Amino acid sequence: MEKNAEWQWEISAYRPWYRFNLRELFHYKDLIFRFVRRDIIASYQQTILGPIWVFLQPLFTTLVYFIIFHRVAKISTDEISPLLFYLPGIIIWSYYADSITTTMNTFQNNAYIFNKVYFPRLIVPLSSILFHSFRVSIQLLLFLGVCLIYGLKGTPIHLSWQILILPLLIFITACFALGCGLIISVLTAKYRDLDNIMQFLLRLFMFAAPVVYPASLVPQTYKFIFWLNPLTPVIEIFRSSFLKPHALPLFYLLLCMLTTFIVLMTGIILFNKREIQIMDVI
Amino acid sequence: MAKKLIEAENISKYYRLGVLGSRSLQEDLVNWWSGKLNKPVTADPESRQHIWALRDISFDLFEGEVLGLIGKNGAGKSTLLKIISRITLPTAGRIFGNGRIASLLEVGTGFHSELTGRENIYLNGHIMGMKKKEIDRKFDEIIDFSGVSRFLDTPVKRYSSGMYVRLAFAVAAHLDPEILVIDEVLAVGDAEFQQKCLAKIKSISREEGKTILFVSHNIQTIRSVCNRALVLDKGRLIFSGEPESVLAGYVKLSREQLLGTDYSKQGLLPGNEFIRIKRLALVPDYTNQQQVIDVRTPLHIRFEFIYQAEETGELLVNLQLFSSDGELVFELASKNYIFKTGSVSGESIIPGNFLNDGSYYISLAFVRNSTERLFYFESCLSFEVEDYKEPGYWYGKWAGKVRPPFPVELSQEPGQTRL
Repeated sequence: MEKNAEWQWEISAYRPWYRFNLRELFHYKDLIFRFVRRDIIASYQQTILGPIWVFLQPLFTTLVYFIIFHRVAKISTDEISPLLFYLPGIIIWSYYADSITTTMNTFQNNAYIFNKVYFPRLIVPLSSILFHSFRVSIQLLLFLGVCLIYGLKGTPIHLSWQILILPLLIFITACFALGCGLIISVLTAKYRDLDNIMQFLLRLFMFAAPVVYPASLVPQTYKFIFWLNPLTPVIEIFRSSFLKPHALPLFYLLLCMLTTFIVLMTGIILFNKREIQIMDVI
Repeated sequence: MAKKLIEAENISKYYRLGVLGSRSLQEDLVNWWSGKLNKPVTADPESRQHIWALRDISFDLFEGEVLGLIGKNGAGKSTLLKIISRITLPTAGRIFGNGRIASLLEVGTGFHSELTGRENIYLNGHIMGMKKKEIDRKFDEIIDFSGVSRFLDTPVKRYSSGMYVRLAFAVAAHLDPEILVIDEVLAVGDAEFQQKCLAKIKSISREEGKTILFVSHNIQTIRSVCNRALVLDKGRLIFSGEPESVLAGYVKLSREQLLGTDYSKQGLLPGNEFIRIKRLALVPDYTNQQQVIDVRTPLHIRFEFIYQAEETGELLVNLQLFSSDGELVFELASKNYIFKTGSVSGESIIPGNFLNDGSYYISLAFVRNSTERLFYFESCLSFEVEDYKEPGYWYGKWAGKVRPPFPVELSQEPGQTRL
């Protein structure tokens, strides 16, 4: 062990789970932002509408949900104007789903880089999350715009102090998506079948969050489990802070932060431990 | 004595081959249950599903030296590079090091075709571990070196492949690590650019005193660039020391391996009820003193087999030569012969100045009545053809599978004047 003193680094088969090199991650911070920049530039290169797609996606989805879930299925929207009701859920959900889909494929999509050069692999999922955070910020502006239009037309808008925790809600969603994405990325890298299962589960998972219905519809029996999903308080608080005054569900907010923290740490530890070994099975 | 920058102790790497399927999941679950996962693997030497890509490699790298690593395809060179570059983990053993490593296993890693040259310089630079300030500082130098300054704001997908490589190498050449690990990435681009790359590498090592680990399968290159060399063969380190003596050992080894196989000493002959292979050999007619197969060397292929004849059977032998990427370079066939049961021998010649440098392998097919394949002896012989160029050239890879000495002549009518 006296050897460790004279050497700056060591490569060996075994890497303890707690050895996490934060300083190294910091060294590569420029790379994170460069990846975000690359994704932003590349995703709108040679598209006619360009960045407008960021707006169109949630708007079209809202329209479809409005027709199907409101007009046809007649699901309650908690007396909130339907378009305003769906938009927050859709924005948060697509943020979560897009982030998770990109991060879960970290290894497959970047194998060509990972096979040629070393940098902390966590850089890639972090930058994907940041890229989607950039998109979601623009979508939030869209939501504010829609609120403004409705407000001017006379629809009641109840702004409350709770909008101040909106950044926290976005942050929770990001951490939860990152945690889930990291765990799934490690699992699917080796067993591709899981990839299909995950895509499928993700689609179903949307219905476990109050995206197309209000939380008030959920029966008392399932209430705890329902609110255990971190996305539930996030979407509900987001909605109520703009549209309908509710007391802040503080207990569930704290619970959701705890759940998110556990998921995120599990993800980071698992990813950190397996990031290099996985390259042998890709 | 110079400072030691890398010390590798008994590096081994074990790969599981074959398809990962439900078996692997099941295996993993069992291993996990019994708490064996991530413990050192105890290998089953008999298993065909597993391979030791590296066995107990130990070496040191001292400050300021250029260490060459040579070996045939599959000798473990790339695996060792990947371990040092932290792309894959060793199964056993440890490497200690001092100083920042930059690995050039490829130039232009992470280049995005939709982005401009300028964006890609930053992207690639960051991937290689440079910080923004560092790139800002060297930006003009990088552009000068690449010679693509006019196209800096053009997406790289519009670049010619030459421009692309120039830009990519320019970034790599301006990395500033203590240790530089270089794979045979430089075998790209035109001759002029390669000269430039060589000059750059030499100046990096001699003037800036950088330490370089250089991998190649080209003897000429190792000889001209390195001041110490290691030879890997089938995952083991077999020679190390001064380039001249090491390369001599390497050449001798290559020659022994090329003699082919005498199966009659091994018991069971490969084949089936119709054909049994007794002997197979590749015999080069060395023309050079080092006794290396290079592009000038004629190669004799000799084989002997036991033929179980049938009354109406005619036999022909079909010889196929493949390049290492699996492309069929050519196919030869004997005439149809009628033989009695017994030993048959055959010979073919690949003339010198015909194949280009590279790795090749040969398969033999034994065919009855021109149609019925009795036995296919797949990739039974493999060999490498080394490059040979007149002194003065350095590294230029001649393109193509063959390199015939067909002349290209230019002439001018006498008495013609310039317009």
